[in-house]
Amino acid sequence: MQANKKKQILLVGNPNVGKSTVFNTLCNKKQKTGNYAGVTVASYSGNYTYKNEDVEVVDLPGSYSVYPSSEDEAIFSKYLIDEQKNYAGVVYILEALSLKRGLLLFQQIQDLGIPMILIVNQIDQAERRGINIDIQQFSKALGITIIQTNAKEQIGIDEVREAVYNNQFIKADKVSFETPNEHRDFIRKLASHKGFDNEYKAWMSLSLGTDLGRIESVMDKLNEADSKSLVPKRLQVQETVRRYQNVDKILDNVISKKPQFKELLTEKLDKVLVHKFWGYVVFLAILLVIFQSVFFLAEYPMTWIEETFSWLAAFTGEHLPEGPVNSLISNGIIPGIGGIVVFAPQIGILLYFLYLLEDSGYMARVVFLMDRLLRPFGLNGKSIVPLVSGTACAIPAVISTRNIENVKERLLTILVTPFMTCSARLPVYSIIIGLIISEGTFLGIKYKALVLMGMYLLGFLVALFSAAILKGFIKNKGKTYLVMDLPTYKKPLFGYDLKMVLGKVWDFITGAGKIIFIVSIIIWFLSYFGPKQQPNELVATNVELDHSYLAKMGKGIEPVIAPLGYDWKMGVGILTSFVAREVFVGTMSTLYSLEDDAPEVKVIDKMRRDVKPNGEKVFSFATGVSVLLFYAFAMQCVSTLAVVYRETKSWKWTGFQVAMMTGLAYFVSMIAYQILK
Amino acid sequence: MGKILGYDNDHLKMPNKIIEMGLLPETIFRILYQAPFNGPMYVEFGVEKSRIALREEEGDYIIVEELN
Repeated sequence: MQANKKKQILLVGNPNVGKSTVFNTLCNKKQKTGNYAGVTVASYSGNYTYKNEDVEVVDLPGSYSVYPSSEDEAIFSKYLIDEQKNYAGVVYILEALSLKRGLLLFQQIQDLGIPMILIVNQIDQAERRGINIDIQQFSKALGITIIQTNAKEQIGIDEVREAVYNNQFIKADKVSFETPNEHRDFIRKLASHKGFDNEYKAWMSLSLGTDLGRIESVMDKLNEADSKSLVPKRLQVQETVRRYQNVDKILDNVISKKPQFKELLTEKLDKVLVHKFWGYVVFLAILLVIFQSVFFLAEYPMTWIEETFSWLAAFTGEHLPEGPVNSLISNGIIPGIGGIVVFAPQIGILLYFLYLLEDSGYMARVVFLMDRLLRPFGLNGKSIVPLVSGTACAIPAVISTRNIENVKERLLTILVTPFMTCSARLPVYSIIIGLIISEGTFLGIKYKALVLMGMYLLGFLVALFSAAILKGFIKNKGKTYLVMDLPTYKKPLFGYDLKMVLGKVWDFITGAGKIIFIVSIIIWFLSYFGPKQQPNELVATNVELDHSYLAKMGKGIEPVIAPLGYDWKMGVGILTSFVAREVFVGTMSTLYSLEDDAPEVKVIDKMRRDVKPNGEKVFSFATGVSVLLFYAFAMQCVSTLAVVYRETKSWKWTGFQVAMMTGLAYFVSMIAYQILK
Repeated sequence: MGKILGYDNDHLKMPNKIIEMGLLPETIFRILYQAPFNGPMYVEFGVEKSRIALREEEGDYIIVEELN
């Protein structure tokens, strides 16, 4: 039996036209919506079934033109052009408030002979502004099926499905772009030479500039004056200006508006939000509210989770048969996983705020405010988005650099984003801060909270200053610029975002849980067995921790980590952390549960009590500070490295990042320990 | 308030995005805000009142006429 081939459709449009919202309401499988140019950074796909037909929807990054100027636009153009055989058609989304801009790309795709259905989204917004769009006239002028939608209210979505089901994709019968007279002869020759079925394809291959080498034989026939004017850039400008003239003509007959606009929310909000002074105050206030919520709002669920896991640990400790397995489960695995789950509320709250900021359109304003301040560090205003979302996780943050057009600024942003305090560092910081910082408050804020905030600030400052230093070592290709759409503010989808956050948090827990589970078992094995003590043994079993393979390995690396103030157990913790930072907590739980059998004592208390042979505390203030600094700076995340390699396509820069971050971590931690001890 | 007349002779170095976003000759625009220390400009333009952020350097490519 042949597999039923799904019908594939592409969702295409400018950034911020509600494309992702259409995608999310159209498909059962969902993806994050954004109101910041470039949130849909990769091409995502989703599915739905309508009248027994399976449809695969590919959501491409938003773009303004088929001529790419950034990585995400390049992804878009490549897919649109290269995959034509695989998709049934393009569903093109226009926003009612910016028809003009949207029609530029629409016409380019139409002229490529790609079949399309047109959606006009957010008509309600236009109506509120007193703008009337004559859809019938519009449809006639463009020669295409138009569906009106309001994706957030689910209006018009079934009509889209119906149109896809009925294959109402229409291919334009003639090219709307008229080749400029001065190039017509040449373009015609090129089209027939290359076997293009229309002139625009020939024009576009010239404008893209990629085919110039291969058409030299045609070029020879040109006189010099002609070839000089065939600068790809110039052709693109010529095309854009001509298309806009054409669009103006079409829209003149389609749009009618009352003379007076109602003042929109966006205009009112921006009076404050991008204000020279108040804009920054509001941004700082928002950050403060986020961090306050992360630490104080999360306290209650965190206590419940902690209590649940200690109950679970005590329960399994009592009811499983006595022995090493009991100790592994009740003291190693359960507290280890609990140590991660307890951070779920904080991570969830942080993510939820970040989603709301992006969906509302506020992030674009932050880019506007921060551009000038980030430039001295070699970064672009757009770098603020990866930097801020890096406080949740560096992986999506690195991917979100794709809309930074300048290659150098993008590379710099990728290199420094992992310095931002991601949520995986939180468990480590919390446990170490709990060990070395005393209770007490300053101006009503706990010392511990202050130190934690200090760590966030430290991550941000190091990111900035390392960018400032690195910018001198990276060659600049191309110009740096900021030309960015400032979208209208939109009411975020609170419920929908909450669902997305819960999904992400669940991924974090299960992902980290699996790793901790495996690492705990490996550590347990390595500590249960040791080098043979009697000649007739293969290996020694049930050895004292100090005689185990684990101790042997840990002690092997001790000379390297001793200057930083760590004992071999911390060394093992740091080694396992190179898989992912949060594993440190799990490793410590397992290690300390192996040492003595006192299940009722919390791991943090065991760590506090632990002493060196000379009676000094293992987790002294100096050691604690050293661990904090090491985790702040070291590159200890395999997944981030994989993403950095994918995005930079360079082993050199990926390797450099590991060496730079980990080297810095080592030296800073060593200096701090040597001074403080 | 101002009107765009055209682009600098040097416009081949100008980012394409400026034109693609719709800052075309004859377009009426207003600079509503500017970020401190000669930061980006917040420009509202065209019949659709589109808004974009633009640095001064990019603005220099555009030849404009002041309107009252």
